[in-house]
Amino acid sequence: MVSGLSSERQPGKLRYTDENMSSRIRVFDSSVGSKLLIGLTGLALFLYLITHIAGNALIFLGADTFNTYAHTLTSNPLIPIIELGLVLVFLTHIFKTVQMFVRNKAARPVAYAVKKPAGTPSRKTLASSTMIVSGLWLLLFVVLHVQAFKYGLEYEAASGVRDLYRIEMETFASPLTVAFYVVSMLLVGSHLWHGASSALQSLGLDHPSWTPRILAAGKIAAVAIAGGFVVIALWAHVTGGAR
Amino acid sequence: MRLNLKIWRQAGPDGAGKLVDYAADHVSPDMSFLEMLDVINERLVKQGEDAISFDSDCREGICGMCSLVINGVPHGPDRGTTVCQLHMRRFKDGETVTIEPWRARAFPVVKDLVVDRSAFDRIIAAGGYVSINVGGAPDGNAIPVSKQVAEQAMDSAACIGCGACVAACKNASAHLFMSAKIAQLSVLPQGQVERTTRVVAMIAQADADGFGSCSNEGECEAVCPKEIPISNIARMSREFTRAVFAGK
Ligand code: FES
Repeated sequence: MVSGLSSERQPGKLRYTDENMSSRIRVFDSSVGSKLLIGLTGLALFLYLITHIAGNALIFLGADTFNTYAHTLTSNPLIPIIELGLVLVFLTHIFKTVQMFVRNKAARPVAYAVKKPAGTPSRKTLASSTMIVSGLWLLLFVVLHVQAFKYGLEYEAASGVRDLYRIEMETFASPLTVAFYVVSMLLVGSHLWHGASSALQSLGLDHPSWTPRILAAGKIAAVAIAGGFVVIALWAHVTGGAR
Repeated sequence: MRLNLKIWRQAGPDGAGKLVDYAADHVSPDMSFLEMLDVINERLVKQGEDAISFDSDCREGICGMCSLVINGVPHGPDRGTTVCQLHMRRFKDGETVTIEPWRARAFPVVKDLVVDRSAFDRIIAAGGYVSINVGGAPDGNAIPVSKQVAEQAMDSAACIGCGACVAACKNASAHLFMSAKIAQLSVLPQGQVERTTRVVAMIAQADADGFGSCSNEGECEAVCPKEIPISNIARMSREFTRAVFAGK
């Protein structure tokens, strides 16, 4: 296959080897390979979020529908495999982004005294400048979130399935929890504001007329997904889930 | 007009630099930015002081030597303009102007505002070339290239290798520079021989030289004096994927 990749990171000391590219690790260790992996995993997490918000929206159809949906989902034998995949995707995304962040910081050891955004057509935003912050916050959030809902309270509904509806209503009864969720969801929105379209650019998807639409669609999706979760949390808090 | 300049002075590669204040009096709005610095330097030399080092060559926006970060933006406030083509009428009387060198691990400061950009040469040496048979000069039209492909290649080939993309990027990434070279050669028939090895080798070289990766912000595109778009970077991703996974 292709030769020429070396894992040595020294200026001017690149070794060209004839050995074939036996290790895909080296491919994904390169600056472009890292982007591919981050884009791919980011896109997978983005698609996952769409299914997540779609499922959560069923809460508006009442306790029975919501609990039945949750039960059907979790009792599917494929779910543990999918969950494992999701965890791997999530961890890969975190590992590669943190690694890239550290390397990127090292690429400019002396900071500018004055540095200003360059303006159009740059896509730089507050969201794109704080991906590492929103991302690490979301790591913390996901841990707490999974703890609360997947491994949290166990109530049984009348139908015999887990009463996830009640768990959700009780969780969001606390103003502090709602505040934490709202902040976290705003950060989800911020992360997707840049991340959704950025993932496609990383994967090399680019087209003169489609790229502007992808950029706009990414922002719309960010608002829709984050907004959806916020509405659900607030609705649960305010109404307490009037049945 | 009168300007307050804050200019980065650094005696050598290992010295610690700092911003030094200079007053620029009687600046004509018709002067170019580099002429204005020339005038300051003449004064410094007359006073027996060390002149401010900065790079320039053609002073007509085509060579890519000039390289100043002005008020936090590489090549200054004008879009699609090198700093040698920037004029003093762009500034206000009494304005404070900060002038710094490109800042990147891969572009070490040589002196004051001059940085060593030979890392770019190493990237080109790694793969930014085509193989041809030596001998008599080939006929210019021996290999047909369609108008569309020629235009596409020219758009990428407009890169003058100044390094403003690296200077603007928060990651000090060379992705725009090398993607322009990779894109240019990947669409032309002459570039097919090394198409697969080129993209891998150039990326590996840029990584080895300590440039950062790309966060798709596009600051590079916004400061590029030739307005090279980041669609080249997307193409580089495709070329890399093709090389690594299709192996061709
Ligand atoms: S001096 Fe040649 S481009 Fe500015």
